[in-house]
Amino acid sequence: MQIDVRPVRRLRESAAVRAVFPPVLEALAASAADLAGLRVVGDWIQYKANFRDPVMARPVLAPGLPDGEADSWEIAVDLRRCAAEGADVSGAMAAALAEAAPQAGGRDGAPSPAGDGRVWLEPWVPGSASLAWGFNALFWQALADWEKASGREYEQSLPGGETAARDTAAARDLILGLFKTWDELQARRALPEELYVLELGVGNGGQARTFLDEFLALDRRHGRGYYRRLHYLMGDYSPHVLDRARQAVGQHGERVSGLVLEATRLSGSVGFLAGKAFLVYISNVYDNLPTDEVAAIRGRDYLVQVRSYLPPGAAAAIAERFGMPPADLAPLIQRLLRIGPELLSESLPERFGDTGQAVLFWQAAWQALRQAERYVPLEGLDTYQVTPSVTGEILRPLLTAEGDVRMHVSNGTLASFADTLPLLHPFGRVVCHDLFTTAAGEYHNGFFGPGKYDGSVVNWVNGPLLALLASRRGFDVQFSPFTQRPGTHIKTLTAQVRD
Amino acid sequence: MTPWSVYLPTTVVGSYSVPEWLERLKTEYYQRRISAAHLSEIYEVAIKAAVKDQELAGIDIVSDGELRRDNDIDYFLARVPGVHIAERAKSDYYDYYEAEVTAPLPEDDKTSLGLAADFAFTRTLTDRPIKFSFTGPFSLSRRVTDTAYADPADLVRALARRLNAEARLLAGAGATLLQIDEPFLAGYPEQALLAIEAVNIVTDGVPVTWALHVCYGNRYARPSWEGHYDFLFPAVLDARVDQLVLEFARKGLEDLHLIKDNDWPSYLGLGVIDVKSATVESPDLVAARIRRALEFVPPGRLMINPDCGLRHLAPDVARRKLRAMVAGAAIVRGELGLPAVLAEGDTVLAEASRAAE
Repeated sequence: MQIDVRPVRRLRESAAVRAVFPPVLEALAASAADLAGLRVVGDWIQYKANFRDPVMARPVLAPGLPDGEADSWEIAVDLRRCAAEGADVSGAMAAALAEAAPQAGGRDGAPSPAGDGRVWLEPWVPGSASLAWGFNALFWQALADWEKASGREYEQSLPGGETAARDTAAARDLILGLFKTWDELQARRALPEELYVLELGVGNGGQARTFLDEFLALDRRHGRGYYRRLHYLMGDYSPHVLDRARQAVGQHGERVSGLVLEATRLSGSVGFLAGKAFLVYISNVYDNLPTDEVAAIRGRDYLVQVRSYLPPGAAAAIAERFGMPPADLAPLIQRLLRIGPELLSESLPERFGDTGQAVLFWQAAWQALRQAERYVPLEGLDTYQVTPSVTGEILRPLLTAEGDVRMHVSNGTLASFADTLPLLHPFGRVVCHDLFTTAAGEYHNGFFGPGKYDGSVVNWVNGPLLALLASRRGFDVQFSPFTQRPGTHIKTLTAQVRD
Repeated sequence: MTPWSVYLPTTVVGSYSVPEWLERLKTEYYQRRISAAHLSEIYEVAIKAAVKDQELAGIDIVSDGELRRDNDIDYFLARVPGVHIAERAKSDYYDYYEAEVTAPLPEDDKTSLGLAADFAFTRTLTDRPIKFSFTGPFSLSRRVTDTAYADPADLVRALARRLNAEARLLAGAGATLLQIDEPFLAGYPEQALLAIEAVNIVTDGVPVTWALHVCYGNRYARPSWEGHYDFLFPAVLDARVDQLVLEFARKGLEDLHLIKDNDWPSYLGLGVIDVKSATVESPDLVAARIRRALEFVPPGRLMINPDCGLRHLAPDVARRKLRAMVAGAAIVRGELGLPAVLAEGDTVLAEASRAAE
């Protein structure tokens, strides 16, 4: 049996965390599960809203068997919740171990026998294909409805209450860097007439406003007329967010264009920028894009599959609150994700009196949403498509170097990043503020998502994987602290051409 | 001297598609997980396949696909006596080494760089004419930290002398068409005179057909530079080469007039395939590009090739692009009523001369 405690610092510092282990060991000793093949992993899930129960069982499926029989199990313990006062660690462990015991079933990796009251919302799927991302997409599409029901703007739910972008000094540094590059190119008669800057994820437009105000002021002093040649493109997934940002940059209207775009498919929307963008500025986008997770366990590579459900108690409460049988919950949630709260209320007025009622249903379902997990063997990394143009071979150096490890694939981010790099002018760069891991080894010691921020999903981005992809495409990636907000986990990624 | 026997001969610039599995194996070698002997055997199999692919596509003048090479620089620098590379392991095979020269390159060291052996192997695989390419002295020098020469140009000249010795060995092994690649030159247009001086050192006394390839870079399938070919002129007119192989498909045909305006006296290798795009050109598009070039260059002095090496294209895409290129050239040949094959002993230049008379 293997016990893997990731938050080692908390283990040293917290008696409450150490107190979790005696009942865990007692439960293991009392279990009928095959302990020799069992792994226990302890995480510290920092997100108070997340997708996991305090203790969960994850089957590790056997390779090559058509019925997907589990050949070992992993018991995952959230040390934060299990260390909380009043936590029933023994009971949670016993329930999880019952799934891992052969007599409890689970031959296909289904984590529970039928009839345990969970309301399953989807089949087993890779994490990036999970219905949780449907909730996430709906959040951005129907943000105005969500904010109205919540009574607060989404930025207030971010750590610190605002996006990371708005800082005059940082904008000035970026702009002066651009001026230096442009002056040099101008001297060689190699500066294009049109100077493109692209911002992905525009927030409320504050970053764009700050950048453009500074740009105009600095350009007047610099005297080269770059402002006149500037094209500032704002791209965002949410029309609502984009409209708000447009208003914020009203006085720079002639220099600004707004584009509703999907960050993971940039070539289809801003492909015309190929080789032209001098700066691509991205803030708090990557942590909100779909991702799978992969794991190396005892020398074999696995894809983590998930299956969303509502726990029995929460499902019953939601059903009662909205006057429906629990059996109606799954189809109704799927319908909500397809058509949104406004149309849902219009189509079911007897159940949802107005859009606000449908949003409350949406929020309740989101809050209750949990995910079961299982490990499915990958039969060759090349057979796993990370993005349409990147195979799982890109993961090999990280998985090979780190031994037993589980990490994000950051599929959506990788797709977006891979689509962004070709947009850069040979002297252009990407500047991105987000939550990044910066060394693959960090996955041994921490939990990096998924969690819930308001109505959206958050995952830290696999920074080393981005750096690897960039390296394979001739770019250097640097990570640096986000100096504008001390104490934040946010880091700044900068990518520019190598060689 | 022309080692081919058709009008509008189709050829490649040098490198061929490197499949993902081969990239992985190359990296395994640089991380010392497989042996040089195993990798050499893998290369032989891959090169056979690359040559066969080109033959099946109908390419008139083929190459070994440069599949043995880790990149356009290190394969050569790592073999040049006097070039010091402290760390030879790589996290990815395609990365550049950090190379330095701390003392003048030894002029009396006759160690072969091994290129003649590479050519000799390819010669056993095909009856078709072979183009053999190597990176030129100017571009090689740009990747060297030089603390040996007071004048950086002297390193370029020293590298050129080393490449000249290797070219002689290549000619001795039967090579008839050698190409000097200068992928870095477009980034240093003010150095064109030096680069051409070095080209002439490389070609000096080597009785083969010489080509000079200048593009805007193809590292990671991205251009490294932007600009126009006007920087080559008039310096390149002094280059003792028979062909100028340039990139046009990606950049557009705007610079074609330079060939005519500057009275470029010999062949133009016309880039008709964009090697930085996975979109496969149609034969009609290729034909249109050739027709446009014929407004500036007579058919007897035009060769048809991709913009640059095919290394970053997926194998299937590379094959389809080559087939489109061959088909496009055939369309134009047909339109012009040009013979598919020249009479024995005849050459395209001679035919063109007669036509001009």
